[in-house]
This record gives sequence, C-alpha cells and structure tokens, in this order.
Amino acid sequence: MRARSLWTLLALAGILAAAWPGRAAAVPVFARKYGFQCTMCHSNMPRLNDFGARYRMNGYRLPGRESEEKTVLQSPAPVALRTSAGYTGADRNDAAGGGCESDFRLNGLDLLSAGTLGPKIGYFMVYLPQIGEARGVAPQDGALEMASVVFSGLAGSWLNLRAGRFEPAFVPFSVKRQLGVAPYEVYDYSFPAGPLLSETRSGVEAAGYGSNRFQYAAGVVTGSETNRPYDTPSDVYARAAYVVGPGEGQTAGQRLGLVGYLGRARPADELGGPTSLEPFYRAGVDASLNAAHVNLALQYLWSRDDQNLWGAVDAVTYSGGFAELSVLPAVNLVGFARFDLVQAPDVDGRDITRWTAGGRYYAVDNVALHLEYSHRKLADVTATDDAVESFVTARVDFAF
Amino acid sequence: MRIALAVLAALGLCWWLGQPTVWAAGQFLENGLLPPVPVPADNPQTDAKVRLGAQLYFDTRLSADNTISCATCHDPRTGWANPHPTDTGIKGQVGGRNSGTIINSAYMRFQFWDGREPSLEGQALGPIHNPIEMGETHENVVNKLNAIPGYREQFQQVFGTDANTDGIAKAIAAFERTIVSGPSPYDRYLMGERGAMSPAAERGLRVFNGKGHCTPCHSGPAFSDQSFRNLGVGMDKEKPDLGRYDHTKDPADQGRFKTPGLRNVAQTPPYLHDGSAKTLMDVIDVYDRGGVPNPRLDRLVLPLALTRREKTDLVAFLDALTGPVPKVEVPKFPEGPDPQADAKGGLR
Repeated sequence: MRARSLWTLLALAGILAAAWPGRAAAVPVFARKYGFQCTMCHSNMPRLNDFGARYRMNGYRLPGRESEEKTVLQSPAPVALRTSAGYTGADRNDAAGGGCESDFRLNGLDLLSAGTLGPKIGYFMVYLPQIGEARGVAPQDGALEMASVVFSGLAGSWLNLRAGRFEPAFVPFSVKRQLGVAPYEVYDYSFPAGPLLSETRSGVEAAGYGSNRFQYAAGVVTGSETNRPYDTPSDVYARAAYVVGPGEGQTAGQRLGLVGYLGRARPADELGGPTSLEPFYRAGVDASLNAAHVNLALQYLWSRDDQNLWGAVDAVTYSGGFAELSVLPAVNLVGFARFDLVQAPDVDGRDITRWTAGGRYYAVDNVALHLEYSHRKLADVTATDDAVESFVTARVDFAF
Repeated sequence: MRIALAVLAALGLCWWLGQPTVWAAGQFLENGLLPPVPVPADNPQTDAKVRLGAQLYFDTRLSADNTISCATCHDPRTGWANPHPTDTGIKGQVGGRNSGTIINSAYMRFQFWDGREPSLEGQALGPIHNPIEMGETHENVVNKLNAIPGYREQFQQVFGTDANTDGIAKAIAAFERTIVSGPSPYDRYLMGERGAMSPAAERGLRVFNGKGHCTPCHSGPAFSDQSFRNLGVGMDKEKPDLGRYDHTKDPADQGRFKTPGLRNVAQTPPYLHDGSAKTLMDVIDVYDRGGVPNPRLDRLVLPLALTRREKTDLVAFLDALTGPVPKVEVPKFPEGPDPQADAKGGLR
C-alpha cells in the first residue's frame, strides 16, 4: 500500500474539510423539484431520515400535499447523476500469498430519474451505463439497476403497489443507501450462484402502514438466475415492522422488524446435482434504535437451504448479521462503525467477520468526503487457511 | 504527482460547488416577494374606504360595552397581534386562542385558526358578535354607527348607503389589506443582495429548507401552505381544543389548526394557537420534539434532532423575514351623540 500517498491524501482531505465554506448548492431530482435541501429527506446522503422514509412510502409524494404534486412534465428535468472519485487501497493475505493494490479512480456512474407520473403514480429509476476499463476509471457493466412504478394510496395508507425492478423490503437496511462502502456480509452470502439479498429484483411488492405504527410489505420477485437455460423461479417474502415512539426508526423512534423469505433455485452447474427447483428459506429480525444523535442498526438472519443447492448430504443451515452504530454530531458529519458476522455452514467452512469504521463529511449536502477502513477475515474451520483482507478508501461522493 | 493533481482538481471542483448560489426555485420554495394584494372584485380598494375601515378597526364602540376594538387584540404596537397568550374580551372574559397578526392576512385563504371564514370580510364580523370578544350584535353595531353622523356620512360616501354589516365588513377588510409587510432581509437576499442576511440567517435558511422540515408547510410567498396541521399542541389536555374539527366535524380535522404565515413572525409573540410558546425558540423546541403525540399527529411532524446552533440559526432566519409594515396612527373618530360612549382608540 502506498502509505505515504495515502496519508498525504488524508491530510489534504482533512484540511479541505476544515476550510470548507459549507454552503448549499444544487441538489438532485426530488430536491430540485421542490427546491429543498438534501437534508429534508436524508439524515446523511444517501441514508434516508424519517421524513424521507415517509416520502418514499407515500409514493414520492409529500404527505398532506399530494394534490399539489407536479408531474415530471411540469418539473425540472428529473435526472440526476451520482458518482465518486478517490483512493482505495486493499491488502490481502491468505494461504496463497496475497498482495496489495491501490488505485486512484472514478468509481462508476449512476444515472437517476424519479418523479410523479400522475396523481397516485410515481417512479424511480437508476441506470448504470456501461463503462469500459480505462486508466483511473473503474469498469462498470451496463445495467438497469432499478426501474419501478409505485401506485400509492390505493386503500389509504394501507396499500401501495410497487412494480418493476427495485430494492425489496426484505432488506430492512437499504444496501443502496448505506453509509459505508463495505458490503453487509449477510446480505451477500448465499449458496453457490444463489440470489443475494443485496441485489435489486424484478417483481411486485405491496406495502402499507397504519396510524397504529404497524408497517408491512409482501412481494413476489424473480429469484435465482443460475446459469441454466430454464425459467426463472419466483420467490416470495413478507416483512412486518412496528415503530415505537415518534418517527420511523430512521433517525427517531425505535423500529422492530421481522422478515421471512421463501425461495427456490436450481443448483449451480458445477455441483452436478439435479436441475429441479429446490427450496431455501431466510428468516430475520432487525431493529433500528435511536437515541439523540445516535442510531444502532441490528440485523440477524437465519438461513436454511436444500442440500442440493450446496451439493451437501443434509440440509444446510447458517446465520449471520451485523450491528452498525452511527453518530451524527452535526448535520454535515456522520461517523459509523459496524461489525458483520456470517456463521457459515460446515460445507463452506469459512466464517466471515468484518470490522468497519468510517466517516463522512458533507462539504455541501450533495458532496461528501468519505473515509473508511474495513478489515475482513475468513476464518477457516481448520485454522490453517485463514484469509484476511483490509481496505481503506478516501473519496469524494457526488450527487448532482 | 497523479494524486496531487487529482486532489487539486477535487479542490477546484469543491471551490466551485461551494460558491454562493442564488437559491434555486422549486415547487415549494417559491417564497419570493409578496405578490400584489389580492382584492375581491366586489370590494375594490379606495382611499375613502380604507380610511373608514381604519376608524372602525380602532373604534371601541363596535363592542357591547364600548371597551374593545379590533385593535385591542390585533395591536399595531405589538405586530398587529396580541402579546398575551389568549384574548381578553368584554368584561374581562378570556378566550381560548391566541389572536393572530393581521399583517399579510390578506394573503391567507382561510381566516381564524380553524379557518372557518374564507375571507377577510367574513372574518371582520366574527369577533363583533363573539360573546367573549366584543359581545355585540350586528344589529346594535349598525344602529350605533348610523347614530353617529360622521360614520353615516362616510358610509353614504363610500357605499352609497347607511351603515350596514356588509359595509362594515368591507371597510375593515379593505383597511386590513393595507397592512402588508415590505421587503425583508430575506427578500433582498433572494434578489441578490448577499449581505442582506447574516451568516446565521443564511445557515438558518438551509435548516428551514432541510433538516428543520419547515418548508413543506411554510411555503409560498406568505410562508403558509394555506392548510391545516395537527402538531398536537394542547391535545394532551383533558378537553383539548379540536381546532378545524369544530368547523368541519370531520374527525380527520381533530387538532388541526391553520398554518400561519411567517413573515414578521419575530414581532408577534407568543406563538401557536393557544399562545403557549413565548418565543420562537419555544416553537422550534415543540417541532424538535416531534410535536405532541396524539392519534392524528401530522405525518410531516417528526423529531428533528436539531443542534443548539441550528435552532439559533433558524431563529436568525425567522428574524430575517421581518419587513417594514405601514405605520398607522390611531385615527380621529367621528363623535357620537353620547360623549360617554365615544371611542377610546381601542388600544390598552
């Protein structure tokens, strides 16, 4: 790792942060439409605050002012861009050796579009253009990451329908709006070629809430897309949450949730097993607890997969979760620390632990200086083949 | 070298992004200069009518015991509002709500906290026959005014008739339409005068329009969405004031009160419908706590977790909404047949 360069960069970032004038500037899509600051909906971009959560639940309409919403045709161009640029250094050590990598580069590009199409219809879209590998630019596969239409208020607040490709509610803590760069390990763990909870899915989701603070969501989404030329199975899920106190559990109130997921998948080719659809299950509990300027996010998931999905003799069980603490000492500053754990099944044999710590300083609402360190360990059950990875990143995130 | 260049580029971009920008307009951030005062077609403004309306506004003879005028509770010396939490009417009777300012009331789509009157004309007559406020019948007021030659002549001149309730309402409303605030430091700031607002007020604007969640309700030139919201204030009492519900009988309106405009708000303490907040900071504290829990708490009202500095910045911004208001002297009143009952100016 180029330690000297890194420290130089960090020092400059620190000076920059200290000297920043802290003024507001242009803001993307929704903020531009209403003339709001990003902090109207985000406690720290991209994480939503309670207001933003309610706005999203209400189909991208301001609660109580639905009749005044302007459509995309009446609003400024509903397009925004999001990218980041900065330094990333990684250090890997395993039985095979390992090594260091570091790079200063542009990390992809998201094109966002969102807005209101009609009185009760909103949409949200994220497109990732294909970017070829080039010096200083991270390659990116072209993809329509999200494109969903929301029909809201179909039965008061109790029924909102989202159809298309979206981030389903079985992920209580949004992967797309998380503060850190390091992934939530438990959302990224599955059987070989299995579907990851962190991925966006295509399908239909019904969701709603009542004045009694109960929230629900249930949906049908495309499941595993293993490399076989068969039809794609549909997975189903349901989530229930209850909020205690004011807020939605984002930055105020305490939210407790349960989630269940039932999927079917074909074993990966390399396992050489049957090609029939085999079941797998996920069940989880989560909590988002708030006190003053501190949020504690807790998630734990239990999994049970058909043995054929792992090429094992018996059904395979495993579990994992994370605890993430974030502190907001000021509107333009957030610090976070997270512990991830995956207690892998014997058939895999490597438990995962990850420690992550970082912070974001918002020079303006939509420009964040991001510093993060993460240490990940794959612990071999025989303790002879441990693998350790660590990375540090210092970058600037933009959304405009 | 590469890194140094990249950092320099980032610095340049950051400098550019950090430059002051004229506030972008948006659907709800259209809090620009006040437009011309809307005047109903059936009550055009004339100087004579406004003069008559000013006399009526300050004249205590519109009340049952000749002690209370409009100006008693909407006092020009205290921001055209009542400095006390709630009104005190005839015979020392105390009402349940705070008297809102009449500054810019011409821009409000609804009058009174519960919005029961859509027009200033309708509002003008309400307190006269309210038994707690002025306690007089409309019939008696008309008779009293017609017994005063100076008023009778003016009504003839302005409306072509003797005094009547319609004329009284129109004249007072016409006068109230002249009580409009002028350009505030915020307006001058919007027009490009960057030094018009203090740095604290500038920061407060960002809180107002961001973390403070003020704009979704306090939007438009008068800083009101012309709607009704439940903040829960007073809803924890044994017999709460149900606000808008008392007028509509719609259960959804329980605890809802009109979103007041915010121009010149710094001049009009105390605040909230019951006058329970002595200062703007007290109001901000109510919002910061997420209102008062009740089953119909507005979904836009959420805990804010504002820091002390953000609150003081917000107060600085609200201060910057203060614009000049026409100076109005208590007019000379037409003398009546009974000197004991002559107007006393309506100011206590």
